[in-house]
Amino acid sequence: MLTFVVRRLLTTVPVVAFVAFVVFSILHLAPGNPAEIIAGDQATPEQIAAIHQALGLDQPFFLRFVQWFWQVLNGDLGQSIFSRLPVTTLIAQRLEPTLALMTLTLVLSIVVAIPTGVAAAAFQGRWLDRAVMAMAVAGFSVPVFVIGYLLAWIFSIKLNWFPVQGYTPLSAGLGPCLANLVLPACALSGVYTALLARMTRTALIETLSQDYIRTARAKGLAEIPILFRHALKNAAIPIVTVIGIGIALLLGGAVVTETVFAIPGIGRLIVDAILRRDYPVIQGVILLISLSYVLINLGIDLLYTFIDPRVRY
Amino acid sequence: MKHKFLTCAAVVAVMFGLSPAMGQTTLRVKPPGDVKVLDPTIASDSIARNFGYMIYDTLFAVDEKLGIKPQMVESWTTSQDGKVWTFTLRAGLSFSDGQPVTSEDVIVSLKRWSAVDSMGQQLNAHGAAWAKTDDRTFTLTLSEPWGFVLDTLGKPGAPVPFILPARLLTNLAAGQSVPEQIGSGPFVFKKDEWVPGSKLVFVKNSRYQPRAEPASGLAGGKTAKVDRVEWLIIPDQQTALDALKKGELDIDEDIPTDLIPVAKSGAGITVSRVDTIGVAQQIRLNSLQPPFDQPKVRQAALLATDTSEYLGAMASGDSTLATICKSFYICSSPYVTESGFPSFNLDKAKQLLKESGYDGTPVVILDAAENAQIHPASLVAEQQLKTAGFKVQVQAMDWATVVSRRTSKEPVSKGGWSIFISGPGGLDMMLPINHLGLRSNCEKAWFGWPCDESIENMRAAFGDTDDQAQRRSLAEKIQLRALETVPYIPLMVAYQFRATRPEISGLLTPPAPVYWNVAKK
Repeated sequence: MLTFVVRRLLTTVPVVAFVAFVVFSILHLAPGNPAEIIAGDQATPEQIAAIHQALGLDQPFFLRFVQWFWQVLNGDLGQSIFSRLPVTTLIAQRLEPTLALMTLTLVLSIVVAIPTGVAAAAFQGRWLDRAVMAMAVAGFSVPVFVIGYLLAWIFSIKLNWFPVQGYTPLSAGLGPCLANLVLPACALSGVYTALLARMTRTALIETLSQDYIRTARAKGLAEIPILFRHALKNAAIPIVTVIGIGIALLLGGAVVTETVFAIPGIGRLIVDAILRRDYPVIQGVILLISLSYVLINLGIDLLYTFIDPRVRY
Repeated sequence: MKHKFLTCAAVVAVMFGLSPAMGQTTLRVKPPGDVKVLDPTIASDSIARNFGYMIYDTLFAVDEKLGIKPQMVESWTTSQDGKVWTFTLRAGLSFSDGQPVTSEDVIVSLKRWSAVDSMGQQLNAHGAAWAKTDDRTFTLTLSEPWGFVLDTLGKPGAPVPFILPARLLTNLAAGQSVPEQIGSGPFVFKKDEWVPGSKLVFVKNSRYQPRAEPASGLAGGKTAKVDRVEWLIIPDQQTALDALKKGELDIDEDIPTDLIPVAKSGAGITVSRVDTIGVAQQIRLNSLQPPFDQPKVRQAALLATDTSEYLGAMASGDSTLATICKSFYICSSPYVTESGFPSFNLDKAKQLLKESGYDGTPVVILDAAENAQIHPASLVAEQQLKTAGFKVQVQAMDWATVVSRRTSKEPVSKGGWSIFISGPGGLDMMLPINHLGLRSNCEKAWFGWPCDESIENMRAAFGDTDDQAQRRSLAEKIQLRALETVPYIPLMVAYQFRATRPEISGLLTPPAPVYWNVAKK
């Protein structure tokens, strides 16, 4: 097991290096120049050239890449071209809102989706199953921003229960933090709840047709323990995989939700950086996301061994 | 028991963020955009300029009628030949870190600023030499008299000649931004609370000494009546408006025109113009490359432009949101004139295009597709030019790509361009001397690089005379010549609107949104 973990962690290095090189190259080829954006409308070519030089953008491509990658290896992701703040500081500022939103969204999704998926599987082909599947289709189909606007209109404007926008850090208290996150998490969890409910239902239906489930029923075991203790545990691998994918996707940022509810998360950080061509920030965030993917996949693989003892590495 | 109760109460208070009332007044504002760079000299955009007005001060400033008034300056004199100007700073001026503002700070700041600003460059072209007399007195010596010295030092358009501490500027290379934000303005920037792309915080500068005169425009007493100002970057306009209605926001700057009726429906919400000048929406033509390298082709494009259709596309046809002035000068300019400006004439446009020998070279329009005004305007331009006989290609991209592509002087077949649509601030379209669009000094002109010696001579003559009648005459002649060279096609003056909650009073309407003099009930 330890060898497996070490081997997987070592494979992270070439993956991240490759991602870094590809991202750096694509940004180099993409049109747009941060110096022109900083200088503004009135700037002369000389002023733009001076800013270009001051930012070090006049250096050859490979020199810039090597310098940046050496910095990264030393734990320094560089500075934002615009704010002049370290990229690590910018990511740290945005990580808490993203993690908080991600956690609440996943908790909501799991709490709603798994019992609903189990119920749909248990009542396969009946009205409850059809109702759950119809809701899942709706969850997939209605865009997040529509749900977001509706929730804000009902619960913020009409009922005045929650703030419309913004993020309050946990250090200011759990209550205000949650108040800011409930609506965006509800909006965002729609699609994950739908995905997870469908996955739970499909995996469980397959498990419920196994011989050992028939045996359990034959020996007179009640339906609830059969569903939750025997079937769900054996159907858990695809469900855990989907939860893992959800974590990775949400870490990359829920741009639309963050925009609708003005949450300063990782998603908005990278979109703003792309629009301004803030290369160090784009590179830093993409590195973080790719690293998260690798680690989350590793975590899921390790989790498989606990869920299913037959899985060995 | 009592101890346990207090402990529980404290835990609940921490959990739900209940803290004792601080008794501070906080003004929450959604600015028109995010501040990209915290240096209003390096970044010449209006948001950086607005940031600058919060924390820095200027020697002179414009009042609500755009008249130049002293700000940091207590008094000034001019020599009889108009070449030597002597300025004295007000007593007791200090930066927010407690250091006094000295003549050296002023001289170093203005030297740095004049290297990048068009008016500053003209001041330098008149041989500007700055010299310190004492800590509060300094002189400006010119090689020849120039009638725009005070207008230059009090200009409200970006980049503004703000005064920064000399110690922060002396070792900066050209193009390098200032490392700290220390000013002598009415507010202090809280860098430790800054979340780029999300929030900027300013607090009242306790060391600031407002002038005795009442606030007017950007001049007069800049009294901070709130303890704290928060600029909240809310990317979604509907969310910002909801936050305003709910009281999470006090002022929403630059609301889109389609949301104005929605804003007005909010209880007590006031919608008003941010300023009286507006932005000059225009079609910028590339005079360097075919097909617009031919004056007749540019004239044909001007005649083919029906501005009323642009008003419909960009301002819902509502003349309270935008005004059409048939002039190269912005409507509120003292030099605005319709002299010689032609009306829409499609037949004549077609005839001119035929006479020009137009060979079908495609007109490439750089369309900033994410912009709610530029995108529809690009589509109108495409349709109108096609109707006149042009071949047109609209290339959709984001604004950052437009900003980059428009610097290209290559032909359209090699990544160049023919047209981009933009709305520079009206302040840069007011006077011939610093007119962004009319500048026709070839390589040094704005993108499109129009080249016309006659316009340049008249612009210089405008700066060299103090006679108002002569200035007016020159401004008119410049327009008549520009109608032959057509460096760009003026479309309309679009106004920016703000929505304000009823608790807010004292908002001024200078060319830049400012938050001194603003009180919150």
